[in-house]
Amino acid sequence: MVKKELLKNEQIERVLSPHPLSFMKLQALCIFIILWGIVVWWLTTSSEYASMFSGNIWYRLILWGLVLLFIGVVVSLVAIQWIIFFLYLGVFAGALTLIFWQHWETNIALFIPLYSIAVSIVGFLIVELYRRSHKYIITDLRIIFKGGIFTKRERTIRYDKIADIDAKQGILGQIFGFGTIIPVSQSGFGLGSDKTMAAGGVELGIKKAKLFGFAGGGKEVQTPIARSYYELHGVYPYKNIKQLVEDLVQTHVPTQYQKAQVEFEKQQVDIQTQMRDLLHKQINEKPRKKTGRQILEEEPDEEEIEEEKTSTKKTLIPDDAYQPEQVDIQQQMKELLKKQKTARVVQPEEDTEEEIEADEEKEDV
Amino acid sequence: MATVPLDIDSLFVAALAPILGVAFFWFLQLIFIEMQKRMLAKLHHRHEAFCRFTNYIGILFQTICQALGYTATRSGIASFQVTVNYGEVQPKKEKTGMPEWIARSFLLFGPFFIPAGLVLIVSYFLVRRGFVFPIPVHYTFVESLTGFVVSLSTFANDFVNFLVNIDLFNPIHVGFLFVLLFFGFGIRPSYIGEERKEKIDILHDLILIKEHLVKNPLYILAIVCIIYVFYLLSLFLNPIVYVGLFSIFGWMSLTAIIALLLTYPVLVLIKATDEIRTHWKIVPFITLVVSYVLTRVFFIYYPITPDKSVSLLIMILSTTLLTILLIKYKRTNRFKTASKMKHLRNVDGKKRTSKKRAD
Repeated sequence: MVKKELLKNEQIERVLSPHPLSFMKLQALCIFIILWGIVVWWLTTSSEYASMFSGNIWYRLILWGLVLLFIGVVVSLVAIQWIIFFLYLGVFAGALTLIFWQHWETNIALFIPLYSIAVSIVGFLIVELYRRSHKYIITDLRIIFKGGIFTKRERTIRYDKIADIDAKQGILGQIFGFGTIIPVSQSGFGLGSDKTMAAGGVELGIKKAKLFGFAGGGKEVQTPIARSYYELHGVYPYKNIKQLVEDLVQTHVPTQYQKAQVEFEKQQVDIQTQMRDLLHKQINEKPRKKTGRQILEEEPDEEEIEEEKTSTKKTLIPDDAYQPEQVDIQQQMKELLKKQKTARVVQPEEDTEEEIEADEEKEDV
Repeated sequence: MATVPLDIDSLFVAALAPILGVAFFWFLQLIFIEMQKRMLAKLHHRHEAFCRFTNYIGILFQTICQALGYTATRSGIASFQVTVNYGEVQPKKEKTGMPEWIARSFLLFGPFFIPAGLVLIVSYFLVRRGFVFPIPVHYTFVESLTGFVVSLSTFANDFVNFLVNIDLFNPIHVGFLFVLLFFGFGIRPSYIGEERKEKIDILHDLILIKEHLVKNPLYILAIVCIIYVFYLLSLFLNPIVYVGLFSIFGWMSLTAIIALLLTYPVLVLIKATDEIRTHWKIVPFITLVVSYVLTRVFFIYYPITPDKSVSLLIMILSTTLLTILLIKYKRTNRFKTASKMKHLRNVDGKKRTSKKRAD
């Protein structure tokens, strides 16, 4: 299955999935529902405060719902994800619907913990399904990220396009050995921003005197952030994977010395191309005087060019035998040869023998 | 002001009694910690994550104590870092002399008493009994020691009584039990450093404490003088204060010992389940919960007086029995390797199963 998606000569290094505990933030939402359901049940039936809730059957449901929604708002603000609030709102609405539909008003005390457990189990299953939808394929050329239950999403990033690697490991990750690695692309994919806003309003008076106050603030922080299907989310073993990705990126990104080497080779190729063009031009423009060596019906191959380069001086025909254009070409050839000789690879500076001797003398003194 | 007989026993020797008592219980605490560390060490190769978790709590407590030391000496905290393998606190001002010594004392002694003190505060509101300071009749060494021991035994009796009758249907009680276990597991870190370079055992602790005390004998002398002055003041004003103060330290040690004792059955259960086949391993843990719930529900319909303690007893007995039966009939492969095969596979950094899956 995976092999079909590979490029020619591409090798798979690792196929990964997120660790079962890597989506603990989502699982914690379900755990809270269970815990709060049990606490409400205990508080309203067995605790010393149980008598407070015996007056009205709806008190316990109101308590349960209000705290659930309040926590939903707080978590949504902190996590900047309003879906959490709507999720809790949905849970509360579902409970209300079931109570009215099935007429369970008299059994609310028992209904709350059972409903909480049932809803949470469904939540756990959805989270697990979501986790299993993720797949990360690390090959020797790129990383492929896949995920999503209904909408399948995929991202591919080549190692030479990775500008930066952000890695994080929470407490659970440190204990269980998993972590998240975000490869940030040169286009900035993998970078996001945290935005927080706060607003409030006050209205006083009924008809005329109305006072309205608004307070707002915003803060934006650039941070490496990505969806779980666009990053190596909660991969295990974290340290090995991080090392592997870093090694692969390293092999695909040239170092400073290698860059100079590449630049030099590029320069040499340019010079040789120019020389070849000049030779072609020279051959085409001197039909009158052709030596045995210079009669070429086809384009000279590279070996011949090399040979000519090495013995240019020998094969050059005196200037007076050619037209001015030929002289010009030869002049250009000379310049190119000079350029080729002067071009050098930038190598790390090494101490010469004289310098070493001088240093030794200094030390002796 | 109380009338005090002016003899050597009352003026000097009696002051030593509670100090010796605290030292004895602290040493007992060290031995129990050492036993727990040895049990954890046996589990390490199969339950690395669990050991990392206990180590993390230990390091967290230790680092918090170090930070408290810097705060108490007004050195300030420049950085605070806690990981699974090590904790680090950097002071804002590098103070020397007495402040440095006090900060280091917090680091060395703090983990034994500060987290235990927090648990003690919680148990004060929950247990509500056993916090008794006995009034000494005569100001002698034996009387002081007896007062100290009576205070501790009353506390231990009521604390254990609470645990035996703990209501696991009460979320607050369950929470307290978890806090106690959490504290018991992380009372001291097992090791410091990623490669497990520095092992934290009883000898390590004792050597560090000895070096710390021998390094500055003048400070020790100063502390002894302060304690003695405090003893004399309390002797003439209110003798309960002196014994009471040391009793609190004794309660802390006792809380720590009880927490440590609670962790032993958990560790034994984990170790025992290692002997059971993979899919059957979970059964003892399920039995632990299910047996208690069923018993409690049963006692709702057929009530008996000590229903909570009987439920606990049935829970423990049924889990033990089932675990023994599973070890006998569902024993795992006896030729198990010392370390997991998957760990051996990962030695070269390549997980071969992935490639296989890709095909």
